[in-house]
Amino acid sequence: MIKKVSRRPKAIIDTVWTHALLIVISIIFFFPVLWLVMASFSKTGSIYDFKGFFPSEYSLNTYKLLFSDTQMYDYPNWLANTLFVAIGSCCISTILVILTAYTMSRFRFRMRKPIMKTTLVLSMFPSFMGMTAVYLIMVNFNLINNLWSLILVYSAGAPMGYLVQKGYFDTISNSIYEAARIDGATNPVIFTKVTLPLSGPILVYTALTSFAWPWSDFILPNLLLKNRDLWTVAVGLTHMGETEFSRFAAGAIFIAVPIVTLYFCLSKFLVAGVSDGAVKG
Amino acid sequence: MDKSKKAGRNSSYVIMGLGQLLYGQVIKGLSYLAILILFIFYMVNTGISDITGLVTLGTVEGDAWLGVEGDNSVIMMLRGILTIMIVIAFILVYVSNVKDINYSYRELNKGHKLLGFRDGVSRYIDRKFYVLALFVPVIGVVIFNILPIVFMILISFTNYGGDIVPPKLVDWIGFDNFKKVLLLSEVKVTFVKILKWNLIWAVLSTAINYFGGILLALLLNKKCVRGKAFWRAFPILAYAVPGFITLLGFKFMFSYGGPINYYITQAGGNAVGFLDIDAGWTARIIGIMINAWISIPTSMLLATGMLSNINNELYEAASIDGATKWVQFIKITLPFVVFSTTPTLITSFVGNFNNFGVFYFLRGGLYLDGYFLASDTDLLINWLYNLSIDNNYYGIGAAVSLIIFIITSVISLTTYVNSQAFQKEDTYR
Repeated sequence: MIKKVSRRPKAIIDTVWTHALLIVISIIFFFPVLWLVMASFSKTGSIYDFKGFFPSEYSLNTYKLLFSDTQMYDYPNWLANTLFVAIGSCCISTILVILTAYTMSRFRFRMRKPIMKTTLVLSMFPSFMGMTAVYLIMVNFNLINNLWSLILVYSAGAPMGYLVQKGYFDTISNSIYEAARIDGATNPVIFTKVTLPLSGPILVYTALTSFAWPWSDFILPNLLLKNRDLWTVAVGLTHMGETEFSRFAAGAIFIAVPIVTLYFCLSKFLVAGVSDGAVKG
Repeated sequence: MDKSKKAGRNSSYVIMGLGQLLYGQVIKGLSYLAILILFIFYMVNTGISDITGLVTLGTVEGDAWLGVEGDNSVIMMLRGILTIMIVIAFILVYVSNVKDINYSYRELNKGHKLLGFRDGVSRYIDRKFYVLALFVPVIGVVIFNILPIVFMILISFTNYGGDIVPPKLVDWIGFDNFKKVLLLSEVKVTFVKILKWNLIWAVLSTAINYFGGILLALLLNKKCVRGKAFWRAFPILAYAVPGFITLLGFKFMFSYGGPINYYITQAGGNAVGFLDIDAGWTARIIGIMINAWISIPTSMLLATGMLSNINNELYEAASIDGATKWVQFIKITLPFVVFSTTPTLITSFVGNFNNFGVFYFLRGGLYLDGYFLASDTDLLINWLYNLSIDNNYYGIGAAVSLIIFIITSVISLTTYVNSQAFQKEDTYR
């Protein structure tokens, strides 16, 4: 009895400081985001007119400008380009990654281990080591200043990141495949009729991640797109200075909101995906 | 009869597809034959000269005044590599041709009938599904990953870059670029400085992000925390915002007109150039902190996933044995989390070692005195970018990227081999 009484205040103190700490941490993570959102509603737009973190006057002006004043910063166009590239690479990458992962998980063939080792070694090269070469290849194929060249490079690189998806397919029991095999199903049939219906979560995860990458990548479009009206949003936003701060903020919000929404809707898959990749990778 | 069968087989060794034609497999035979003809046509037309071009890197220097269209060494190199890859692909097709004709030969000898084209194809698709499935991915990776990497490896042994870009002729120079980076002059000084900072950066930020993430996950995992999903939402929000937006946002935050300097000047101080060229360690520490802001949520998500996997029986058994909460934490939770996250520790170390974004967006494009085309916050990867993409020092850049590759792969291999997860794979199963 005595022990219980003496423990109670301790537990309360524990709860209190835990929550206090959580509040501080949440502010640290939330405030910069909130600041950008507020900045997008600033009336004048230049960062020099702010009172510290807060705009001196609020209005929706920036959003109007973002979509109407396209002389210098053609935001609607950039958004359309980004959307095109992201959706295109998302579709192709997802197909390629799922196929690769499924094959590497399900089949045992002579080239399997060599392929796995090669991808491991390749992933250790600095990511844009080959960028100069990619640029020259694109010049050679006359694909500079062409949005398809981005889709091509993103999709071609995507299968290298098959490990998370392979980890997922590894968990599907072999007996299902054997049963299908005994029923006389061929491998293409097994893939479309057995595997695909079972791979909902991992399809969603793959589609999301392969959408998010081109959606927010900067390096490749910066290298391959030289025309201002072909830019993606990421390239365009980096060209905005301190006097265009609220326009930057507003433009950033249009890029961030879809991704953030997707991540929150799918956060369950995300935790699973991240941890699967960690164990099996 | 037997003799004609053998002749059919042997003819396919010499002329790809001929044997299949003799065996009556018309479509298959014609396809093989067509590939052979295309290949020969290609080799005669450009292939052979492309391969010699790879060796010589061009012999005629272009001269706009005299109207001489010279050789473009870089394109020649690229085409040479491409041709070698095509030759390898052709050899693979040839091997498949030999295998196919041998198979048919054996089938015929056993007295079986050969499958028609359509049946053959569907049988192939079923039996060799993996070839079909991996065909496009492999081609893509070969053209857009392997070819560029091979190209850059070769470039690191040439004098390409600086003044020597087409139309001037590029030449093979052996290990000179590596000597420059590791032994000589200004380049070496810069390399050593950047490497030191790069290692400090990678160790510090990996440690901060890793333990920060684990501590955050443990905090959220405490029994007394109400509304876990609510608290978790904030780090996830930070995780979900695209990195370049976060980084540019923070750059604005620390800029001269930004809020932090606003409060400093309001308090009577002078505006501080946090990210200026002479900022030194201020900029470095800001970089580490911003990187923590970006990366801690990821490792938190990871550790959360791990914590939910711990077998509860372990705790029950420990409680029965009279272990206190603290002992349980030290003996069960911590070793488990560390054990299961070691592989990610390696990837996150390599990721941080090659973290391009942070300093590119915060201070990109600054060149400091005493550095060769770099500043004191630049990591090797930023230097690589400055060298090869901004300033066309391709040869040195390629040598630097090979050195980065060697460093990261040695680090990850040794840690991986020495790690608990590798040595005792089944400890926690």
